[in-house]
Amino acid sequence: MAAALKLAGVRKSFDGFPALDHADFEAEAGEVHALLGENGAGKSSLMNVAAGLYAPEAGRIFVDGEEVVLTGPRDAIARRIGMVHQEFKLVRPFTVAENVLLANWRGRFAHGLREMERQIRTQAEQLGFAVDPRSRIDELSIAERQRVEIIKVLLAGARILILDEPTAVLTDEEAVRLLTTVRTLAARGTAVILVTHKLGEVTAFADRVTVMRGGRAVAVLDARSTTADELTKLAVGTRVTPPRRASSPPGARRIAVEGLQVARADGHMTVVDATFHVRAGEIYGIAGVGGNGQTELVEALTGVRAPLAGSVELDGAGDTTGASAERLRDLGIASIPADRFGYGLAGGLSVIDNFCVGQVHTAFYGSWLWTDGASMRKAATRAVAEFDVQGVHNMRQKSALLSGGNAQKLIIAREFSRDPKVIIAHSPSRGLDVRACAAVHERLLNARAAGAAIVLISDDLDEVLSLSDRIGVMTRGRIAAEFIAPADRQAVGRVMVHHA
Amino acid sequence: MLDQAASRRLLTTDAASQRSAGSLRVGRINLEVRQSIPLWLQALILGGAALLGIAVSAALLVAAGVSPKDLFDEFVVETFTDSGNFHSILFQAAPLIFVGVGAAVVFRIRFWNLGIEGQMIWGGIGATFVVLHTIGPPALRLPLMMLFAVLAGMAWVALPAWLRMRLGVNEIITTLLLNYVALNFLLHLLYGPWIDPKDAFPHSQQFHSFERLPEIGWGLSSALPIALLCTALAAWLVLFSRFGFYTKFVQDNDRMALAVGVPIKAVTFVCVLLSGALSALAGFVIATAQEGRLTQSFFEGYGFSGILIAFLARNNPIAAMIVAVLVAVLFVSGRSLQVFYQIPFAMVQLIQAIIVISVAASEFLIRHRLHWVH
Amino acid sequence: MLHFLVNWLASTPSFATPYALAALGLIISERVGVLSLGAEGFLLVGALAGVAADLEFGGLPAAALVVAMLAAAAVSLLFALLVVVLRVNQVIAGLAIVFFCQGLTSLVGTLGGWTNRAIAGLHAVAIWPLSAIPFAGRILFTQDLVVFATVPIFFLVSRILSRSMLGLRLRSVGENPDAADATGVSVSLYRFGAVLAGSALIGLAGGYLSVVDVKIWIPDMTGGRGWIAIALVIFARWQPWRALFGALLFGCIEALIPRIAAAGIQAPQYFLLMTPYLATIAVMVWVGLTKLGRLKEPAALGRPHVREERR
Repeated sequence: MAAALKLAGVRKSFDGFPALDHADFEAEAGEVHALLGENGAGKSSLMNVAAGLYAPEAGRIFVDGEEVVLTGPRDAIARRIGMVHQEFKLVRPFTVAENVLLANWRGRFAHGLREMERQIRTQAEQLGFAVDPRSRIDELSIAERQRVEIIKVLLAGARILILDEPTAVLTDEEAVRLLTTVRTLAARGTAVILVTHKLGEVTAFADRVTVMRGGRAVAVLDARSTTADELTKLAVGTRVTPPRRASSPPGARRIAVEGLQVARADGHMTVVDATFHVRAGEIYGIAGVGGNGQTELVEALTGVRAPLAGSVELDGAGDTTGASAERLRDLGIASIPADRFGYGLAGGLSVIDNFCVGQVHTAFYGSWLWTDGASMRKAATRAVAEFDVQGVHNMRQKSALLSGGNAQKLIIAREFSRDPKVIIAHSPSRGLDVRACAAVHERLLNARAAGAAIVLISDDLDEVLSLSDRIGVMTRGRIAAEFIAPADRQAVGRVMVHHA
Repeated sequence: MLDQAASRRLLTTDAASQRSAGSLRVGRINLEVRQSIPLWLQALILGGAALLGIAVSAALLVAAGVSPKDLFDEFVVETFTDSGNFHSILFQAAPLIFVGVGAAVVFRIRFWNLGIEGQMIWGGIGATFVVLHTIGPPALRLPLMMLFAVLAGMAWVALPAWLRMRLGVNEIITTLLLNYVALNFLLHLLYGPWIDPKDAFPHSQQFHSFERLPEIGWGLSSALPIALLCTALAAWLVLFSRFGFYTKFVQDNDRMALAVGVPIKAVTFVCVLLSGALSALAGFVIATAQEGRLTQSFFEGYGFSGILIAFLARNNPIAAMIVAVLVAVLFVSGRSLQVFYQIPFAMVQLIQAIIVISVAASEFLIRHRLHWVH
Repeated sequence: MLHFLVNWLASTPSFATPYALAALGLIISERVGVLSLGAEGFLLVGALAGVAADLEFGGLPAAALVVAMLAAAAVSLLFALLVVVLRVNQVIAGLAIVFFCQGLTSLVGTLGGWTNRAIAGLHAVAIWPLSAIPFAGRILFTQDLVVFATVPIFFLVSRILSRSMLGLRLRSVGENPDAADATGVSVSLYRFGAVLAGSALIGLAGGYLSVVDVKIWIPDMTGGRGWIAIALVIFARWQPWRALFGALLFGCIEALIPRIAAAGIQAPQYFLLMTPYLATIAVMVWVGLTKLGRLKEPAALGRPHVREERR
C-alpha cells in the first residue's frame, strides 16, 4: 500500500539560508507518526510545505502514491491534508462556527452557519470535546482553541492530520487527553503527523518516528522499540547534560511582594493577589498554566505596568511599588522577558546598541553630550564573547538576525553584566533547543550562586521543578500554593489544574 | 505570492501541460522577507528609484509642453550658472531646511507630525504679534520675534502630542486637522484685527527694517546660517548625544525601550516640541526674510515638502539639509516654469509626490526578495 | 425659530452624505486591513472627475457621478499596488497618494479648463405626496437622489459585511490574514478588491461634493473632509451604521454654519469655519476617554501580509 503522504527531496530556503535540504518524509494511513527534532531542524517548514503554504524549491509530494502539485493551501485542503499550526489560524473575534465556515466554504452564509453548527456538535461529541459552536474564539482557553482547530481541519475532510507542537501550550493532563484523542483518530484510518520535540510523547503515543536534524531527515525508527537516549543523540547530535542545582543556604530577603493586584490594558484584573518573597541566593519558581496573570505580574515587577494595589519591597530601597523601569533597574532589578523580540531586544538595532542600552544612562559610555561608540563596541564585543553569543558576524548586525537561543544569550549578557540583585526571568528557555536551554539554566544557577534573588516564572513545569528552591503555583491571579524543593510533580500539577 | 491570482493561473495551465507533456513545470514567484541587504545594493535601489521618479516627472513636463532642452536649461544650467537663480535657491532653501529637519527629527520616533503648516502659521503669527504690539526695544525685536514664533509653534504641536501620549488619540488626524484650525485663525486675523491699515489688503502691515532678518553679504539672507545652525544642533542631538541613542529605541521597539528604562515620554515630547519649533522657524523666516509681513498663503506646499525631505533623507538631519536644497531647486525652477510656460505650480507638488511614491515603492525590493521557484 | 430649525435639518442630509459615503468606503477598505489615509485624495479625484464629466458630457449628473467613482477607483489602483502588492508602509503610501492627488487634480483641472466653472449639477427632487407633509416632507422627502440612495447602500454594505460569505472572508483578511491565507482566501486579491470598491465610494462622495453640493470645481475644495471621514470611522469603530450616525452628526454641525450666516446672526465667520475640525478632534478625544476606545479595530489594520515570513 502506498503511503498516505510522501515528501521526497524537499528543499526550501529563506532569504538564501536553507531551512530544508533534501528532506524526505513518509506517513501511512492509520498511524501516529512523530516528527522529532530540535528548533530550527526544519520540522515546521517541512509540514508547511505539505500544507501548501510554502512553495519548495525542489522536491516532490505524493498523496496516496499519486504525485501532486500544491499551489496553495486550497490545493492541500482539496487533497485532504489538514494542519493545526503552532500559532492557531483562528480569527479571534469570530465565533467557532464562523471560523469553521471560513475553512469550509458554503454558498450561503446563514445556511452554511447552521450546517456548521450542527456538524461541529456532532464532531465534538465523537471526539469527546465540549465545544460550543457559538462562542467567540476570544473567550476560549488555549486548549479549547486547539480543539476548535482540530475540528475545523477534520470537518474540512482531512485524512492527513498534521499537528505542529500541539502539546507545547497544554498542561500535562490536557496533553494526555489530546494525545489519546489523536490515537483514536489514527485508529479510524487517519494519518496523524505529530510534530514535537518532546521525547516522552514520541515513545508513549507514536507508532513511528522520523528524526530531523539540520534540515533533513536523519532516521526513521519504530517508536516503541527506541529509547529516549537514542532519540536525543539523533536529534541533537551529541549528549547534553542539564546543569544541576547545588544546595546552599539562602541569604537575606531581597524582594517581598504583598497582596499585589495588576490589571491588563483592557482593565481586566489578572493578578488578584500575589504574595511571596525571595531571598538572596535563592530561585523562587512560579509555576502555572500560561495566561493566569504571569505576564502582568512580570510587568508589574519590572516597572512596565503600575499595580492597582499591594506593595513591592526591595531590600535596601524600601517600598518600590509602582516605581518606573528606569528606577528599578538602577536598584538592581534585571529582567529576562518571555517575548524576546517584543520586550527584550530592538530587532532592527545592532548587537552593540542592544547590549549597551542597559547602562547607557550611567555615563558608562560617555556623557549625555556624546555617546562613545568605541567604548560601547569594546564592551559589547567583550560581553558577546563572555556570554558565548553565537552567530554575531558583525557587531553592527541587526539583533533580529540572531536565533532564539543567541538572542536570549544577548539579553542575559546585558542584564547580568551589571551584577543584578534581583532577576525576573519569564519563560527563559521557551522555544530554545536543548543546548541553548542548558546554557540559560547554567547562567541562572551561576547568578544564584553569586547571591542574586531570582524569580523564575515559567509554563514549563520541568524547568521550574529542576531549578527552584521554592515553588509557588499561580492560578487565576493568585499564588495558590507553595512547595519547597524537591516538590512532588503530581501535587504541583494538581494545584495548577484544579484551581484553574 | 506577488500576484496569487496570476501565479495560480500559471500553475493551472502548467499542471495541464504537465499532464500532457509530462515533465516541464513553469513554477511560481515566491516572496520572501529579506533578513539583511548590503548597503551598496540598498543605495543603488533607492538611487535608481529616485532617478526613475525624476524621469517620470520630466516626461510629464515634456508632455505638458516644455521642450527637453528648456527643461535641462531650467533645472540644471540655470541652477549652476545663473547667480541670481543660485541665490534664489539658497534663499528658498532656508525654510525648506527648517521643515525638513523638523520632520526628520519627529519621524525618527514614529510620531507623524503632519501639522507642519499649522505650526508654520503659528510661527508667523507669533512673530507678527511681537511686531504689532511693539514688544521690546528695536534692538531686541528680532530675537523676541523668534522666541515668540518658537513658543507658539511648540504650543500648537504640544496638544496633539499630549493627546496621543495621554489618551492614545491618533496624531496623524489631530495634527492635520489643526492645520485647518490654524489657517482659519490666520484668516480671521488677516481679514480682521491685523488687516493692513494702509491698503486694506488681507495681510499684516509691513515689518520695519529692524524686524527683518539682515543680509550677511553676497545677497544672502541670514536665514540660511540660522537654518544651518539648527541643522547642526538637531544632528548632534539625534545622531551623537545620549538622547539620540534613546530615539533609536523609541523608534524600533517602544515596548522594549520602556522595559529597559528608556525615558520614552521625555524623548517623545522633546522630539515633538523640537519639530514644532523648527516648523515655526520656517514660518518665521518666510515672514521676516522673504515677505516682510504676514500673508495668507506663505506656508503653502511646505508641509508636504517637509515630509518628503525627511522621507528621502531617511530622517537624518544632515541628509535632510542636502535634500532640502534639491527641493529648493525644484521650487525655484517650478516658479519659472509657471511664469514662462504657464505650468501650474501644482506640478511641483505632483513631481514631489511621484518621487516619494517611486522611492517608497522601491523599498519593496530592499525588504523583500523575489524568488522564482520551479 | 421653527423656520430656522427646518431649514437647518433639511440641509443636513446633503452635508452628511459625503461624510457617510466616504466613511463607508473607508470601512470597506479598513475592514480588510488596509489603512486608507488616501481618502482626501480620492475625494479630490472624484470631485474633479465629476465636474469634468458633467462639463464634457453636457450635464448628465448621474453619469458624472459614475465617472467620479471610476476615476477614484482608477487612482486607487496605484494605492493598492503600493500597499497590497509592494507592501509599502501604509502611512507613507496614504500620505503620498493624498499629495499626488492634490497635485494631479489641480494640474489636470487647470490644463483641462475645468477649474472655477459652474455646472448645472444634480438637483433635489420632491417625492410627492410625502413631500407635502409639513416639516418632515421638507426634511426627509425633498432631497437629491444620492441622499435617497445612501441608506440602501449602507444597508447593502453592512449586510454583505456581516451576513455573507464574502463578508466573512473580507473580515477574516482584516482580522487575521494568516488564518485567512491558510484556509485558502487570497489575501492580496481581497485587499485589492476592497480598496478598489471602497475608493469608488469615496470617489462618489467627492463627486457629490462638486456635482451636487457646490456645483463647481476648485482646487483643494474638499477642505479636509477626507481626514474627518477617517476620524469618523475610528469614532464608529468600523461599524457602518455608527458611521452613518456620525456622518449625520457632522452634517448637522456643518449645515449650521451657513444657516447661522443666513439667519443674520453675528458670529465670527472664521471661527465658525473651524467648528468641523474642532468637533472632529473633540470626538477623537471622547473616543480616547470612554470605553469606546476598547472596542477593537481590525487586528491586522495597517499591516502588510507576507506568507513566508519567518519570525
